[in-house]
Amino acid sequence: MNSDLIDTVLGVAGLAVRFTVYVMLISPAGIVVLASFTREDTLSFLPSGFSLRWYEAAFSSSPFMSALWTSSQLAIVATIVVLILGTAAAFAIARYRFKGSSLFQSLVLSPLIVPIVVLGLGLLQFLAWVGLSNSFVGLFVGHLVIMLPYVVRTMIGGLLVLNRALEEAAMNLRARPFRVFRRITLPLLAPSLITAGVFAFVTSFGNVTLSSFLAVTGTVTLPVQIFTYVEYSYEPIVAAVSSIVIAVTIVVILIIERVIGVDKLF
Amino acid sequence: MSVVSLKNISKMYGATAAVESVSLDVEKGELLCLLGPSGCGKTTTLRMVAGFVKPTSGTVEIEGKEVTDLAPYRRDTGMVFQSYALFPHMTVAQNIAFGLENLGKPPKLREQRVQEMLELIELAHLSRRYPAELSGGQQQRVALARALAMNPAVLLLDEPFSNLDAQLRVRLREDLRSLLKRIQITTLFVTHDQEEALMFADRIMVMRNGGVEQVGTPSEIYETPATRFVAEFIGWCSIFDGMVNGQGEFSVGDSIRLPVDAGPGPATVIVRPEHVKPVEIPGQAHAFEARVTSSNYHGSLCRLRLDVSGQEVLMEAHYPHGRAPKVNERIAISINSKGVRRLPG
Repeated sequence: MNSDLIDTVLGVAGLAVRFTVYVMLISPAGIVVLASFTREDTLSFLPSGFSLRWYEAAFSSSPFMSALWTSSQLAIVATIVVLILGTAAAFAIARYRFKGSSLFQSLVLSPLIVPIVVLGLGLLQFLAWVGLSNSFVGLFVGHLVIMLPYVVRTMIGGLLVLNRALEEAAMNLRARPFRVFRRITLPLLAPSLITAGVFAFVTSFGNVTLSSFLAVTGTVTLPVQIFTYVEYSYEPIVAAVSSIVIAVTIVVILIIERVIGVDKLF
Repeated sequence: MSVVSLKNISKMYGATAAVESVSLDVEKGELLCLLGPSGCGKTTTLRMVAGFVKPTSGTVEIEGKEVTDLAPYRRDTGMVFQSYALFPHMTVAQNIAFGLENLGKPPKLREQRVQEMLELIELAHLSRRYPAELSGGQQQRVALARALAMNPAVLLLDEPFSNLDAQLRVRLREDLRSLLKRIQITTLFVTHDQEEALMFADRIMVMRNGGVEQVGTPSEIYETPATRFVAEFIGWCSIFDGMVNGQGEFSVGDSIRLPVDAGPGPATVIVRPEHVKPVEIPGQAHAFEARVTSSNYHGSLCRLRLDVSGQEVLMEAHYPHGRAPKVNERIAISINSKGVRRLPG
């Protein structure tokens, strides 16, 4: 009897916790999307009426559109570069024993631990010292640094799971090293590469702190643009821009899910 | 000319030798088995032939050509891995075609050869399946077809039966042996299973701690083991450490006396369990009184451990149903003098 009661109480509590977690996860995005359809001139929840005027405004706002363009370009190019660098680093760490291997690994993963504010400050000083302050290259390099740990971590995991005998079998079947990599290693690492790519892209695309530190005159990333806009205006245009970003993200994840299945990703 | 020739190869890992001065010649069409317990160096030896491990010293020759320093993809070997290592993202046909592609064979020839191989392993109907959709036995056959497709000089098998259940193992062993004999391919085969080696091989090289204990045909290895290790590792046997007197009689303990073909002095002899028989009346030639210390039922025959005045004697015998002696029972046994072998050295 008593244990039945405990089971029931725990069951109800579990349901409540789960419900709360889901609500907390979804509501910020949901509120922004709902608010973006407002007819009013100020951002408010719940919105009154329905209109697409803020979407029109967003698409015709050159600061927001150029920021979206900057952020996309930065994130896409940086993701490609960081995937190459990170996979190479993961290869070295997972496959070879060399002096200072664990030091190298800690170093590569350290941006995860160091607060981004500290990293940003340090990078700002460093880039000024090497003459790259207020340059797109500096911003780009900064983004690579914070994206790298996600890629390296994911790729080390992928490499450790990959059966080395498969590569040996390919070599035994007369495949030269590059062919082994292209025909065997790379296809089998594809799920890890996509996971790493998604992590890296999101890290770059959503970053505010580092991008503010390494801001380049004339080019602003979208998160920084939204952040500075909200500081002095409460126009629903930011809600519309955010909703566009959310929509793009969902579409990308759906495509990936269609292609390989999200359950294989994480 | 031998197809594979190992000359004094050693592999050191730091100060420990995984393989120590092993020499071996494998003849054309021969099925040679590297047998030994785990860590004896048999797999390292096989990997040195394939080129995945570079010997610290010594040379490896394949078809008379030295390949010691050649990369694996420049050697004419076909290997079946313990895990089969089929490419999970390729179909059965694509797996088999992979080696032919790398050799630069034209598509037409490739297709033809893949078809031949599929027929050889009787899996033509599964050519479009992925490895994950095959049973263990089917995967093993695909791995074999993939290795054979390139028509290599030597086939290397690394414990190919260890991932299969016992029932299937025995049947596939017979099938594989007759297939390899039919196509007359030279084969190097690694196993830790002595029964498998005895059944499968033309010749066996028994290894221990990186060195060679004995090389010989299965019956040589079984009947006349060169060392105590080989005697104990292959099959089941009684081992006696005793003395030979001037009349060529070996004695151990108070009661065991056996004729041996050896000069006087200390000697070790072995007796295989099938040379020990139960007898009705004690007092017969080479008959002894024995106490049963353990009795294991194995279907058609019974395996007994016996105590003959302090010496352990192993016996395999057929008993009518329910008549097998029980533990601590006293029985009479005789040892066939033809089955008594003196270990050299």
